[in-house]
Amino acid sequence: MREIMRVNMSDLSIKLEPLPAGWARYGGRVLTSAIIFTEVPADADALGADNKLVFAPGFLGGTNTPNGGRLSVGAKSPLTGGLKESNSGGQAAHGLGKLGLAAVIVEGKPADPSAAYMLVIEADKTAKLERVDAWKGMGNYAVAEAIKATRPADDRFSTITNGPAGEMGLRASGIAVSDMKGYPNRFAGRGGLGAVMGSKGLKAIVVSDKGLSNVEHADKEAFQAAMKVFANALTSHPVSGQGLPTYGTNVLANIINEAGGYPTRNFSDGRFEGVEGISGEKQRETTLERGGNVKHGCHTGCVIQCSRYWYDKDGHYKTKGPEYESAWSLGADCGISDMDVVAELDYTCGDLGLDTIEMGATLAVYMDSGAIAFGDGDAALATLKETVTGSELGKAIGDGAEATGIKYGVAHIPVVKHQALPAYDPRPIQGIGVTYATSTQGADHTAGYAITANVLAVGGTVDPLKPEGQAALSQGLQIATGMLDAMGFCIFVAFPVLDIPEAFGAIADMVSAHTGETWDADALMAIGKEALTYERLFNQHAGFTAADDRLPAFFKEVPLPPHNAVFTVTDAELDSVFDFVPETAAGLGIS
Amino acid sequence: MIVDVALFASLASFQPDGLPGRHSRPLEFPEGFTISQVISALALPDEPRVIFVNGRHAEESTVLREGDRLAIFPPVGGG
Repeated sequence: MREIMRVNMSDLSIKLEPLPAGWARYGGRVLTSAIIFTEVPADADALGADNKLVFAPGFLGGTNTPNGGRLSVGAKSPLTGGLKESNSGGQAAHGLGKLGLAAVIVEGKPADPSAAYMLVIEADKTAKLERVDAWKGMGNYAVAEAIKATRPADDRFSTITNGPAGEMGLRASGIAVSDMKGYPNRFAGRGGLGAVMGSKGLKAIVVSDKGLSNVEHADKEAFQAAMKVFANALTSHPVSGQGLPTYGTNVLANIINEAGGYPTRNFSDGRFEGVEGISGEKQRETTLERGGNVKHGCHTGCVIQCSRYWYDKDGHYKTKGPEYESAWSLGADCGISDMDVVAELDYTCGDLGLDTIEMGATLAVYMDSGAIAFGDGDAALATLKETVTGSELGKAIGDGAEATGIKYGVAHIPVVKHQALPAYDPRPIQGIGVTYATSTQGADHTAGYAITANVLAVGGTVDPLKPEGQAALSQGLQIATGMLDAMGFCIFVAFPVLDIPEAFGAIADMVSAHTGETWDADALMAIGKEALTYERLFNQHAGFTAADDRLPAFFKEVPLPPHNAVFTVTDAELDSVFDFVPETAAGLGIS
Repeated sequence: MIVDVALFASLASFQPDGLPGRHSRPLEFPEGFTISQVISALALPDEPRVIFVNGRHAEESTVLREGDRLAIFPPVGGG
């Protein structure tokens, strides 16, 4: 029986509770969203005592499921004002899963606002809150080192840490999770969750899983058989088996640029003349020259291995990746074509605890105001470092693209539900525009990754420049993603799952063998719909309407070169994406 | 006719000059050449691929024209 660990920061108590029976099939995103929907008032102050911060491994977390180690983090978002689920790779999900914890709920607010705490969860499931006031203001890398110094040499542990940006309540702050080497470089980046963690006075969580084995399956043999089919699909599909392990996520730079959808200089062009310098191909070449690592997993059990470490010119670790989204936001969107500059910005975001997507988009908006020039890496770095000085400029930048655009009078602010758009322009790639507009999360590519059929010819093809078929494409992907996020799967399993029917069947077979109950395709998809329904209803209660499911007007009005495309999916089609919610809500008995 | 041919990721090494670095080259082909004839001429591996002409998806049967940009990718993905 999985349990919930409830950590109350007001009275500093820690309690273990059984997972409610109604949520026995829940994990990851559907659990964090169900908990927030049920326990947090929709009108709560996101940085107040009534908000809660929930960490949940996927339903298959702690097992030997390939690519099943994502950690969902949920709260009411201080950035979007809606229900946020941001998930991260790294080692913590497997640690919590092996401990038998379905979720850790952090609630309340410390009486002493100057206190900083570390939640220490030992492998025997005992837990305590330790004062770590001396760590206040420290970057994620220093905190990770400080935690290491507190642990026995033979321990096996993972960390979840908050940088100074989150401690200061900045709305673009994220939460760092340690990778297999202990670097705090994987992120629940989006939606300002670092600020929620900071508001709770929580600087760090350490999870020890020393001596713990993987979680057992009800039918081990059946699980092994299904797992073999699934792992084969992951390694045999050309995207997850070749492209991603060889070039990493940034293999996308050239193909999105070729399609004319690579947002450049604050979404004013669809092609970047400097793309070669920040492409995945060039990144691999340079990383190998410098002795960096170009192929590893971010968590135990990953068979795709798309992670890599960027080394500086002197051959020292600088940062992870950089990943595609970060290389785009801090690169092309800012007019920067030098990967060393991008890596410095990426490292700084990571150490301060800032979302790289939001920060790149924010710096680009700031550049668009004319305050600093597009392409000026030194000015971008200095501006980024302002975020933790407490200056007026720093607060605006640290609160994201919308706050910065309003303060500095920028006409084109690329946000939906107050969250910045990621690395695909929705005018020439309209399916992703539907996801940006309608997602419960604000503009979020991972919520329904229509780039698959729009650009990559994965899971069929849908012409990216036309409105037809985009709403249905986005809806199907958003539901499937809700399911994958609930199970704890890395989103990249979607590439083989969309193309290889046996891979989807293997997920149902693995879950069935794990639980000893029969799970079919409908049962899996129901989980995705339920996750979205909790989120959608919470957002409605928080005041969101159809008007919030729209792209900023300039995407409909200002043509984007080279295709001179505008976004043409109708409002009625956007409003159809969540047509399943009333029925799902009725089934759940919620409204 | 001259066509700007760009080959990416694992296909980059199939440029006729064999040089690394920039992905695109102006290459000369007979008038009326199709994409599949270019693929044969460059001896690209017989594997799935994603093809663009002037930034739009194209079928291998497409007839190329002077000044076109042809970009060919192996299956890739990320995000």
